[in-house]
Amino acid sequence: MTYSPELLKGTLKTIVLKLLADNKKMYGYEITQRVKEMTREKIQITEGALYPTLHALEADGLVTTEVEYIGKRIRKYYSLSPTGKAAAREKLKELTNFMDTMIALLEIKPKMA
Amino acid sequence: MYQLNDQQIDLILTDLRLRGIETESMRMNLLDHICILIENQLEEDGDFEKFYSTTIRQFYKEELRELEDEARLLVALNKGRLLLSRNQFFLLLFTVLIGPFIAYDLAWMVQAGPGWVLPTEIWSSTIVFALYPLLVLLVLYLTPDRFDPLIPRNAKVLLGGRSVIKVLVLDIARQ
Repeated sequence: MTYSPELLKGTLKTIVLKLLADNKKMYGYEITQRVKEMTREKIQITEGALYPTLHALEADGLVTTEVEYIGKRIRKYYSLSPTGKAAAREKLKELTNFMDTMIALLEIKPKMA
Repeated sequence: MYQLNDQQIDLILTDLRLRGIETESMRMNLLDHICILIENQLEEDGDFEKFYSTTIRQFYKEELRELEDEARLLVALNKGRLLLSRNQFFLLLFTVLIGPFIAYDLAWMVQAGPGWVLPTEIWSSTIVFALYPLLVLLVLYLTPDRFDPLIPRNAKVLLGGRSVIKVLVLDIARQ
């Protein structure tokens, strides 16, 4: 089962920031594959969602970039800027809080181990 | 593993540009992504053009420039540029077009004082000069989406930035 795009839309920025916080630098394709792998393909980030988000994060100064030349093409690596590191912590805290609220709101009982 | 040559890379780059990816950074990202997909998934003797067209189709819903628009929208939302709905944009245009004429007429009335009668040349010029742009505006506003209007029903209009006015056709269902 993959989650609906609507459900993921508001969390993409947080996912990208957290991945970059855990990994020194990553490029676009690598991010999509890492998410797919970590979620056992339940979350598949589309190119149409990822690249605009990366572009916006760069414009906001939350990530810095470096390029690697691979023959005729360029690979762009993203890493967190100091502001980005703070934003990653903040977004993660916000999402955790939101998930707790949703659990309480929807009266979801945690699964017993 | 398929090996892309320089000519094929140029072809992808040109195609991305023609499909509306104007930002170089976005183009480079997409190029790299597509190249990885081709190199990893296409057989050595595979059909490059067929594989490329199938792959690129998975990147968007209606057209590739959605990615560019989405990126601009996300940046704009954080930069405090003005993002208007279609109705708000037309209302703004309407006000900008008719506003100076109304203001002029009002100023004349105030200046003329009590018992004024607006001379024919003033109100007729208001109608003549404002009417044509207003009709154009009305046609633009009422054009149904099936005739490919300049500003479709689900569009948002971004004011400010490099292109001053930018129409963003939003797909809210996309991730």
